[in-house]
Amino acid sequence: MAGVEETAAPPLTGALARRPLAAGLPRLALFVRRKKLGALGFALVLFILLVALLSPWLKRYDENLQFQRPNPDFNPTASPLEIARNPNVGAPFILERFQRPSWEHWLGTDQAGRDIYARIVVGARLAAIIGLGASLISVLSGTVTGLISGYFGGRVDFCLQRIVDGIQAFPGIVLLLLLVSVVERPNLPLTVAVLGFLGWAASTRIMRSAVLSVAASTYVEAARASGATNVRVMLRHVLPNVVAPMIVIFSISIGLYILAEAGLSFLGLGPYDQVTWGKMVSAGRNFVDRYPEESVCAGVAITVTVLAFNLAGDAIRDLLDPRLRGTR
Amino acid sequence: MTEYIIRRLLINIVVLWVVATGVFFSFHALPGDYLIRQLVSQLEVQEDYAQVVAEARRRLGLDKPIWQRYGEFLWDTARLDLGRSLETGRSTWQELAQRYPATVELGVLIVLVAFATSIPVGLLSAIRHDSWLDNALRAFTVLHLAMPVFFLALLVMLGVLRLDLWTIDIVGSPHFWTDPAGAAQKYAIPALAGGIASGAGIARILRSQMLEVMRNDFIRTAFAKGLETRLVWVRHAMKNAMLPVLTVMGFAIIGIVDGAVILENMFNIDGVGRYLVTRLEMRDQPPFQGTVMLIAFVVVTMNLVVDIAYAWLDPRIRYR
Repeated sequence: MAGVEETAAPPLTGALARRPLAAGLPRLALFVRRKKLGALGFALVLFILLVALLSPWLKRYDENLQFQRPNPDFNPTASPLEIARNPNVGAPFILERFQRPSWEHWLGTDQAGRDIYARIVVGARLAAIIGLGASLISVLSGTVTGLISGYFGGRVDFCLQRIVDGIQAFPGIVLLLLLVSVVERPNLPLTVAVLGFLGWAASTRIMRSAVLSVAASTYVEAARASGATNVRVMLRHVLPNVVAPMIVIFSISIGLYILAEAGLSFLGLGPYDQVTWGKMVSAGRNFVDRYPEESVCAGVAITVTVLAFNLAGDAIRDLLDPRLRGTR
Repeated sequence: MTEYIIRRLLINIVVLWVVATGVFFSFHALPGDYLIRQLVSQLEVQEDYAQVVAEARRRLGLDKPIWQRYGEFLWDTARLDLGRSLETGRSTWQELAQRYPATVELGVLIVLVAFATSIPVGLLSAIRHDSWLDNALRAFTVLHLAMPVFFLALLVMLGVLRLDLWTIDIVGSPHFWTDPAGAAQKYAIPALAGGIASGAGIARILRSQMLEVMRNDFIRTAFAKGLETRLVWVRHAMKNAMLPVLTVMGFAIIGIVDGAVILENMFNIDGVGRYLVTRLEMRDQPPFQGTVMLIAFVVVTMNLVVDIAYAWLDPRIRYR
C-alpha cells in the first residue's frame, strides 16, 4: 500500500488526510490568501447551502400564498347586472399583483400576488438539490463505468465509449427534453436522474482516461503479479488514485446542472410541483418591461449560484489536479 | 492516416446507430402518441372514435410492431430518408429546408459575435496577464459562463426596451436576403446573447492556451531575434493557441443548437431548434428522429474533420 501512497497526486493526500482542526486553520488562511476568488466562491456556496437548509425559516411567507387585500369597492348586495357592468364591485378581495419591493415584500410580488423573496429563497433549495444530486449521480455512475472501461479495455470499453459518443453527439437540451418527457409531468427525482445521466457521459470519459493512466503504472502491475483479483486491484489500487479527478468532476459540474435545469424550467419542462428560478425568469419575462423584479431577481439568483459553484470548483481543480484545466 | 480515417468513419457509423437506437426507443417510451395528442388537443371524441383512431393509426403506420418500425427507421435513415411528418405528410427534408435558414442565420451571427468578443478578450487578457484589465476581463467571462443564456437575452432585451433603441417585433420571420433591416432587428438580441455566452467559454480557453504557449522557448527565440511584439503575439503565439480552440468547434455546434433551442423558442424564430421542440410536444416521431440524426451526423463529422485538421495543422500529432 505504501507504493500507492507515494504515486498518488501529492496535494490530494495532503488535502484529504484527516488533520486536527488547529493544524488546518493556517492552511485555510493560506488558501484564502492564494485563491481569493476560490475563497469567495466557497463563502457564497456556504451561504447558498445555508439559505437552502434554512429556507423554511427564512422565507417569511409561504411561497404559494397569493396575497390579497380587501376590495374597497366591494358591494355584497350588488345585483348580477351591476357586477356585469362593473366587475370590480363583485370581488371581495383584490390580488396584490406586481407590488414593488417594500418592507412587507422585500422583492415585491409576482403576477399572481406571491412574495418573490419567499420564492427565491425556496428556489435555492431546489437549485442545491439539483446541482449536488445530479453531480453526485454522474460522478458515481461515471466512476463505475470509467473504471470498467479503462481497466478492462477491449470490447467493453469500445461499447461504453460508443454510448458516450452517442450521448455527446446529441444536443444536450434536446436529450433532456426527450428524457424528461417520459412522464406526463416531470418531477424532481426524474429531473435529477436525467441530468445525472447526461453528465454520466462526460464523467465516464474523464474517469476512463484517469483510470487508464493509473492502470498502466507499475504498482498495479505489481498487484496483479502478486495474484490480486481484478476487483481487488480496481477497488484497492486504482480507485484510491482516481479520487482527485472524481472530486474535481463533482465540483466543477454542479453549476452546469443548475444551468441546465434552469433551461429546462424556462422551456416549461422543469419539475412541475416545484418553485424554480428558471420558471420564475420565464414567468416574469412577459412583464419584464414594467415589472422586471421577478425575472431579474431569479436570473441574478441563478447567476450568483452558478458563479459560486464554478469559482469553488475551479479552486478545487487547481488544487487537486491542474492538468484537468480546460476539460470543461 | 487513411487507415485512421476509415476506422473513424466506421466508428462514426456505430455512434450514429447508437443515437438512432436511443432516440427511437426513448421516443417510444413517451406517454401518448401522435393521435392521442391530436385527440387531446382537439377534444373531438366521437361515437366511433376508436374506429377512427384505429383507421388513422393504420394509415400513418403506427400500428406496426415496434421492431418492424425500428428496422424501417434504420433502413430509411441509412438511405438518407428521414421520414415524413405525421402532421403535414411532407418529408423531413422539406420541413427542414423551410426552417434551417433561420437557424443558420442565428448560428452564423452567434459564431461571429462569439469570435468578435472572445479573441480580443482572450488575447488582451493573456497579454496583460495579471493586470487590472486581465482581472476585469476574467470577471466578465466568469460571470457570463455562470449566466443562463435566456437571462442574458432578457437583460439585453430589457436594455433595448428601456433605452427605446428599436421595437422588438417577434411576429413574422424576416430573412437577411428578403428584409435585412427586419432580420437585423429580429436576430440582434438572440445573436448578442448567444454569442457572448459562447464567446466567454472560448475566451477562457484562449487565455489559458496563450499563457501556456508563451512559456515556450520558441517565443523567447522570437523575441530574442528582435521581432516586433505584436508579430510574436499574433503569428507565433496565437496561431498555436488557436489549436485547442479548434477542437471545441464540434462541441460548439452542439452548443449553438442547444442555444438555438432556447433562443428560438424565446424569440419566436421558426428554426430547427423550435421545430424539434414542437415535434416532441406533438409526438411527431419521424421528423424528430430525422432531425436528431441529421444533427448527430453533422456533429460526428465535424469532430472527425477537426481531428484531421488538427493533425494537419500540428505535425507533431500522429494518429494510429
